[in-house]
Amino acid sequence: MWRPLSDTLLSLIGAVSQESTPDLVITEADIQIPLELSATVHRGQLMILGSAPHSRWKAGFLPQTHPTRLSIRLLDE
Amino acid sequence: MANENAFSVEDFLNAITTQLDRVQDALRLKAVNRPLTYALKDLQLELKVFVDLDATGNVRFRPAGPNEAGASSVQLAFTTITRPMIEENTISLASTRSAPLGELGLSGEEQQRLERVGVRNLAQLNALNATAGAKTISRLSDVSLDRLRTALSSGQPNIRVVKPPAPPVQPPPQTMPPRSMPPPSRPPRGQFGLPGRPSPAVDVRPGGDRGQTPERPILRVGPDARRLAIISSDIDSAARPEVRLNDEPLTIAVSAGDEIQVELPQSHTGGTLEVRLDDGRVYSYGLAVDRDEDIRTTDSDGWAPIGDDE
Repeated sequence: MWRPLSDTLLSLIGAVSQESTPDLVITEADIQIPLELSATVHRGQLMILGSAPHSRWKAGFLPQTHPTRLSIRLLDE
Repeated sequence: MANENAFSVEDFLNAITTQLDRVQDALRLKAVNRPLTYALKDLQLELKVFVDLDATGNVRFRPAGPNEAGASSVQLAFTTITRPMIEENTISLASTRSAPLGELGLSGEEQQRLERVGVRNLAQLNALNATAGAKTISRLSDVSLDRLRTALSSGQPNIRVVKPPAPPVQPPPQTMPPRSMPPPSRPPRGQFGLPGRPSPAVDVRPGGDRGQTPERPILRVGPDARRLAIISSDIDSAARPEVRLNDEPLTIAVSAGDEIQVELPQSHTGGTLEVRLDDGRVYSYGLAVDRDEDIRTTDSDGWAPIGDDE
């Protein structure tokens, strides 16, 4: 199912940040993940859609995957 | 040949940055209720796209479809930058306020050719003309010299309006007649008559241009007016006009965008106001002061019958 790229990125960031505990704090994370990317026109504006791949297997009818690298860091107070 | 599913590079990049802005905004909101705050540091995408060129020469991306071979690989990297870095690496906001090339009578193709040499508006065209000259611009951009000169001349700075700045709200003066009494009709007194009847501009300079055309605009200001606002077009901040009253330069009090405000001398009685531009053009006005005594002498008694001379 196609989702806006921002939703997918927020889900990734949320999954990492939730792992922080009082004993273990994640200060930086570097995530490499293939994403299926597409573009559509929504309310007259171009919108980028991005989702995790349907499958890890290559198939002749599944969308192309685009390697993506995402870096997040903990902000100082 | 452009494909229907292709998108211009600019739109594509703007759409991605919009998504990234949404991520940053959501993380900021999340930080209100959560003890730990994360931020997006950078994002790298390796896009599998087909690159097309449309009829106007714009580059367009078309995402590769399933099992589609031969796609190009475009690596995009987005990172967060600070405000000082933005200011260092982008053009100033003031220069973006200049008239775009489309308003100078240039065709779309001519605008594209000038954009390839870094010219997107009149200010940049003037800056390049001052440095390299119109012939060099014409040779490098392949835009005809005549068209360039026409664009440069049509974009010359102009003075649009000269007027007293908007006065602050004040209570009406007590000398004003009651509203039930119609204002009496009086002939203008001296050369600075009452509003409603134009007076010829007065040139108080000895040996001045007394033959100046009577069509010179007359500006009427109140006796308490201390400033004049001059609104211009296409004047950049480095080329402020020089304003003189009776050949005496006036101090610029406020300079903001297309408007400047000049200080009027304390005891001025009007005269010839000149606005001189850098290119030598002079806009001339007659400045008239409507004095309170002119009103008082004609309307000293608000209850006097109409037509009663003092």
